[in-house]
Amino acid sequence: MADNGSYLHLARPLPTVPIPHVHATTAPLNVTIHTQALFSILDHSLRRNLDQERVIGTLLGVRSDDGTEVEIRNCFGVGHNESQEQVEVDMDYHKAMLALHLKANPREVLVGWYATSPELNTFSALIQNFYASNGEGTFPHPAVHLTISTEPGQDISIKTYISSAVGVNPERMADNCLFVPVPHEIRYAEAEKSGLELIAGAKNTESRTAPVMTDIGALEKAVEDVLGMLERVSTYVNSVLKDETPASAAIGKFLLNTLSLAPKVNATEVERMFNSHIQDVLMVSYLANTIRTQIDLSGKLATYNFGPKDPILAAAAAAATTAPVASK
Amino acid sequence: MAEKTYAGPIKSVRVDALVVLKICKHASSAHPQTVTGQLLGMDVDGELQITNSFPFPTVDTPAQDDKHDKENASSGNVAPRSKVNAYYQQEMVRCLRDMNVDASSAGWYQSASLGNFLNASFIENQYHYQSQHNERTVALVHDTARSTAGALSLRAFRLTPAFMAAQKEGKFTIESLQKHNLTYKDMLVELPLTIYNSHLLTSLLHQLDSPTPAPLNALSLSQPMPLAPNFDALDLSIDQYLEKNCDLLLESIETHYSEVNNQQYYQRQLAREQTKIAGWQAKRKSENALRASAKQPLLPEDEWQRLFKLPQEPSRLETLLNSRQIEQYSKQIDGFTASVSAKMFAVNQGLPRTEL
Repeated sequence: MADNGSYLHLARPLPTVPIPHVHATTAPLNVTIHTQALFSILDHSLRRNLDQERVIGTLLGVRSDDGTEVEIRNCFGVGHNESQEQVEVDMDYHKAMLALHLKANPREVLVGWYATSPELNTFSALIQNFYASNGEGTFPHPAVHLTISTEPGQDISIKTYISSAVGVNPERMADNCLFVPVPHEIRYAEAEKSGLELIAGAKNTESRTAPVMTDIGALEKAVEDVLGMLERVSTYVNSVLKDETPASAAIGKFLLNTLSLAPKVNATEVERMFNSHIQDVLMVSYLANTIRTQIDLSGKLATYNFGPKDPILAAAAAAATTAPVASK
Repeated sequence: MAEKTYAGPIKSVRVDALVVLKICKHASSAHPQTVTGQLLGMDVDGELQITNSFPFPTVDTPAQDDKHDKENASSGNVAPRSKVNAYYQQEMVRCLRDMNVDASSAGWYQSASLGNFLNASFIENQYHYQSQHNERTVALVHDTARSTAGALSLRAFRLTPAFMAAQKEGKFTIESLQKHNLTYKDMLVELPLTIYNSHLLTSLLHQLDSPTPAPLNALSLSQPMPLAPNFDALDLSIDQYLEKNCDLLLESIETHYSEVNNQQYYQRQLAREQTKIAGWQAKRKSENALRASAKQPLLPEDEWQRLFKLPQEPSRLETLLNSRQIEQYSKQIDGFTASVSAKMFAVNQGLPRTEL
């Protein structure tokens, strides 16, 4: 789900202190959120203390060399206490956990923080300034703040921000900042596709669980999906033909492009390829099964050789092994 | 710690979606190296609920040499038992407990490629977990290579009590295998595994599935949606996969062959020693008979135990593991050929042809 709203890319304020070697840039920032981080945040939100309204945590990920692309890949929760007047974030915990995470994922860096409530308040500014600070924070890169609403019964809305300093003097700047919304995109890695598919398969069941599929099961599902999509497209095309739905040139072109992708092949060529391949496949399958039987047999023979079940063999074996002892 | 009210064996494993993704990410980031990690969760009435996990850092190898792929792979394998990780594990669990995460160990996970995970270190790790940490732990195996070719391959294993007993004794001779009635088929038991989503997650998934209507253009159509159905299962590239599988199978057969040779060598050696002993004893007996007739003191007849040394019986563990591995490969090939032949027939029938 990409965030489809329009964004005004404000020129990001440059760091107030010029730093050597790092070229500060005001290019627009794009944030990519990996599903794993999202799932992790939701899990943390479910495990919050009863009296807590929101939980916060640290976001980890990778940043492109020029700092315009941020990928949020991982995260962990950090304990905090919020009251009317003050906020307390467990900084030691944050540091310890960050060190532990970096040990296992050396390529990931601190990119920002998340909160599980959509609102931004003065405490948000304080925490944001900590995460963006020089030294422990993401400085000179901006820290990304991700909010995710976890109100039951309502849509989960995800928003990402970066901040710029606001304040008339340095003291005021420490606890103020301006949150600038930035676009984000939810993405998954290629390797997670099969996992996500399974997880998504569980969303319509009452128990919210799904068994692991076999390869054949996956094939069946894929074929069913394709059939379903074809069905949908043909219903749509039919309704357009009958003038029930307005036609869309974009969809029409897309369908035409897709149809032209169907390969035209020589009949004899296909037949030849098919036959040679199916023979290979069946041969390998046959051999694999033969090997399995052989191994089974070998295992049985190895332990059966001197087995006590067979009286003749057992007697012979006993005679063979005990012969030197018996003659003592 | 909550008291355990249920003492029966673990019947099934329930894995949270978060853990599935975490394992997938960790495994694919280091592929083809083997990675391991810790599973956290709870045991509820015989169902092991795995709710969180964290990766183990790989143990530093002196030199990252590509030639020593095997060594690199094994460095990941030993991670669950190494001393450095014990500290890491403790710290991580302590930190996670502060965040209200289930902090009891539920086992460990490992990545694999085409089912090649059955080796001595896998067994030792799981033995370590089941004997040292907590009896009620499982090993999850995520097969990276198979998952990209189709359905997610995530399996849960435990060592059987019979195997635990044999491993405790530390020897795998034919005799002990018979005693425990152990064959390669009952070393490991696979548990049924289900994926579980929280309410919040279900809500998010539904939302991702029905995005807000966006302005329709050619660009938005060609971009894949986050939860679009996965058509990897329809992929027709068979040769590569079969070839790899066959290679692995052949390798295993070679190992099996050398193990059998070892065993035969031992048998021959044993037989030779035994005839020697028998010969010696016969000689000693006749000598004693002579001495008895000459009224001389008899020579001891059990000196052969000092003079001859019987060869050590080789461990059968390797053979057991290898047999199980071969069985696994065969089953994998079987399953793959079943689906691939179906696909091939479908393609053969469905292709539009030109007459030429």
